[in-house]
Amino acid sequence: MTNDTAACGCPEFSLNRRRFLAIAAAGGAGLAGASLFGDAFRQVTYGAPAGGNVLVVLSLRGGADGLSMVVPRGAQHDLLGGYRNGIVVPEGSLVGTSTGNAFGLHPALAPLLPMWQAGTFGAVHAVGLPAPNRSHFDAMEVIEDADPGSSARVGWINRMIGLDPAATPETSMQLGSTLLPTSQVGPAAALGADQVADLQIAGLGSSAAKRRASLRTMWSGDKSALGNQVRSTIDATLRLDDLVQAAALPTQDPDPGGPDNPLNPVNVSSYPKGQLQGVLANTSALIRADLGVKVITIDYGDWDMHTGLGSTDPSTGWMFDQLDHLAKSLTAFFSDLGADASRVTVATLSEFGRRVEQNGDHGVDHGYGNAMLLLGAGVNGGDVHGVWPGLARAELTDGDLAVTRDYRSVLWEVLLNRFPEVSGKRARIFPGFVPETIGAMA
Amino acid sequence: MSETTLRPRSKGKPVPEPAGEPTARPSRASAEKPSTAPVTVAPKPVLLGAGSRHFARRFSGGLTPGLATSVSKAGGGRAWFEKQLCPGRISDPSGKAIDTWYPRLKQTPQQIFNGEVPWEVMGDLSRWTMARRIHSSRQLQEVMVDFWSNLLHVPLMDDTAYFYRVSYDRMIRTHALSSFEQLLLHATTHPAMGLSLDNAISTKDSPNENLGRELLELHTVGVDAGYTEKDVKQSARMLTGYRVDVWWPEFRAFYDPTVHSRGRVTVMGFTSANLAADGRAATKAYLKYLAHHPATAQRLARRLCVKFVSDHPSPGLVSTVARAYRTHNTSIKATLRAMVDHPEFAKSAGKKVRTPAEDYVATVRALGIKVLRPVDGNSFANAMYWQYRELGQAPYEWPAPDGFPQDNQSWSGAGRILTSFATHRNLAAQWWPTHEARFRSQDSWLPTLPASVDSVIDHVGRQLLGQPPGPSVKRGVAQVIGRTLNHRLTQSEADQYWTVIGIVSSLLDSPSHLSR
Repeated sequence: MTNDTAACGCPEFSLNRRRFLAIAAAGGAGLAGASLFGDAFRQVTYGAPAGGNVLVVLSLRGGADGLSMVVPRGAQHDLLGGYRNGIVVPEGSLVGTSTGNAFGLHPALAPLLPMWQAGTFGAVHAVGLPAPNRSHFDAMEVIEDADPGSSARVGWINRMIGLDPAATPETSMQLGSTLLPTSQVGPAAALGADQVADLQIAGLGSSAAKRRASLRTMWSGDKSALGNQVRSTIDATLRLDDLVQAAALPTQDPDPGGPDNPLNPVNVSSYPKGQLQGVLANTSALIRADLGVKVITIDYGDWDMHTGLGSTDPSTGWMFDQLDHLAKSLTAFFSDLGADASRVTVATLSEFGRRVEQNGDHGVDHGYGNAMLLLGAGVNGGDVHGVWPGLARAELTDGDLAVTRDYRSVLWEVLLNRFPEVSGKRARIFPGFVPETIGAMA
Repeated sequence: MSETTLRPRSKGKPVPEPAGEPTARPSRASAEKPSTAPVTVAPKPVLLGAGSRHFARRFSGGLTPGLATSVSKAGGGRAWFEKQLCPGRISDPSGKAIDTWYPRLKQTPQQIFNGEVPWEVMGDLSRWTMARRIHSSRQLQEVMVDFWSNLLHVPLMDDTAYFYRVSYDRMIRTHALSSFEQLLLHATTHPAMGLSLDNAISTKDSPNENLGRELLELHTVGVDAGYTEKDVKQSARMLTGYRVDVWWPEFRAFYDPTVHSRGRVTVMGFTSANLAADGRAATKAYLKYLAHHPATAQRLARRLCVKFVSDHPSPGLVSTVARAYRTHNTSIKATLRAMVDHPEFAKSAGKKVRTPAEDYVATVRALGIKVLRPVDGNSFANAMYWQYRELGQAPYEWPAPDGFPQDNQSWSGAGRILTSFATHRNLAAQWWPTHEARFRSQDSWLPTLPASVDSVIDHVGRQLLGQPPGPSVKRGVAQVIGRTLNHRLTQSEADQYWTVIGIVSSLLDSPSHLSR
């Protein structure tokens, strides 16, 4: 295919891109199997250790332009400006410092500067897949499957959760959608929900306890895997019940638009309006309830900026709006977490970076190397990690920022730091992969 | 994202409500009242024997009184199955009507490409497919279209392939009950497959291995068949030449001899000199070879058995089916017959979990909802997309090339279970969607009252599930309505809002509805 628009197959997708990407990312609602370990462990009394660490994987769907988020300074910025006349983020507008003053952050990320300066917000640049893949569709699959060459089609998070014999459906969750992303698809149980309040059994006019009892009776003679899973689901809803009931109360008091209802832990009005508002408020409530969740995946779409990425004024344009919402939402999230912030780490992933050179529409087409953002507990922040490949034409991979470090190296450092129990089990999570040291975690 | 964005452009004429007596009592629902069919005397449903019921539940979207009557008239499950193998001979007025609901499905790939809303046309295809699964009398045909579409999967929202996805669906429907050889040939060389798995951009100078590999791994012999990376490369070379000019206004699918990779091709025992610039004859021979390969026979036989018998079919069953496949020249009908005539099939009743899409179709059928021609985004036929999509298995929306999983475990997750329960409740209570659909009145489920709770649940269960509910299911249902099984239910108790809804919805949450 000779034409970029045709090649990426997304002609003028602006209105429906988000929906398409959500669909493309879908694994199937609640498509999550019963446990790898049969039902034996489900018979024992569940007691998740309190205060466990939590990883939030934030997928920037659509291919976020890392070169506008974490921007090189100096001579490298001059090179970038040569490729992107009119849409490069001006050097003078960048915020934040890094080793050798090599990089700065897009000014829209300014709300996160206190975390950057405190060392709890950092970035890794020029990371990505081992080989370029410029299809949204394929690249998302590959990045979340994270097991190239395997036809098993089990996601990396699912493989990690599968290592834990005490895992329950609520150990690994997707919020914002009942559809599990590829990273969560596989034999280990996982729970997908639009919001916490949905994690309940649809009522039929009786008390919740009677409804549970009724379901248990109806399924009592059924010893199939589905029957076991129905019982395990009833148990999960019971464990989540206090949280779910509280989350189902009006979020704001007395009216929508008013302050947060103190009885409802989902503090929606503490977050800026936009895509992440509800989902991050729910994520925070779930984490603070301390019910044993280890990994939460969230989607933040609309990064496919083939047109109108920005202008000479970096406080306008599509990228500014996306980053502004991201920064303010994450700031609100860590603040809302309160003391629980000490056990929460956020990592961003995007299916690919974007082309170094701008196209004819003040946008950039699908590319390769990208930046990942890491925030929160355990992060070795205040700096940009990784190996910078350079932006001279000969240093590019087919016109794209080269990838010098595999994204799995970053994920592995995060996992080892937050979940030391995975130590020695790397081959089960990232089969056949030998990581390189990044230094992204403290 | 508005729900009306996917509505058909040309609105169909609303179907007039049938004249008739009003329902005996007004609906108890405080929400907007859906239209309900005038049911004066509920016809006594035909209860099939276990064997016939098994055939009907495996090869349809779910039992209905109408289906039970057809099976009974045909002379039992096996005879009904045989009739269903020739869908062209089955009169299908409902299916024919549904075929007129979504005029955009008649657009050419070029028109879809230029229409700027290909994803909306895909939404039409999705709804049309589900409507056919719900109401077509050619039920086995719909079941097999689903099966082959998952094996030879082209994702619905694949942004490179969707211009050709409707055409691909038509191809699958044409060959769903012919032979696998024909199906494989047409699927592999179809522009939708070529675009989805990159064969359309694969050339002799820069071959793309995607389709060459998946053809072996997913569509035919399987990943354990012993082919090598060299085989994959040769497979990809063999397929070069089938192109689609997506960048030109013609939007043509064509064969380009100038990009076909000539010269000897050897894959898993297949050899072709492949000397001609036009490689189509050699490609055809290659696909025929793969279709007939013993490993393909085994793999397809196993997959069919996992879909229609159980997750763990015996080696004996699989070889019997594989043998029929090979001796009958890959005939799909002969292969299916060998499977259902094996004693293991009869013993497998109820062993398969209904997937979310199967659950949705079976729920609408069980509730006796008649979906009518849609007029806007709120119409049942259109709004149901959001409902079944949330349930998690909108047709063909599996993103990876391997198609939706077929095993029980994949569809037994907690999120799926909770969403199924909520969907059962929303439909049983007639909450949403309700426009352009006819529902049974809630009273029509009930026997003459007063009657024992036990007999009421039995009465509802026979109509809804096509079989009498078992003792633990009855006890469970009685618990949710807060009565004992011996209690004599009066009319005024039955009139309470949750009584009938509680019974109907609970029965849909029971094991016999969530499995088939």
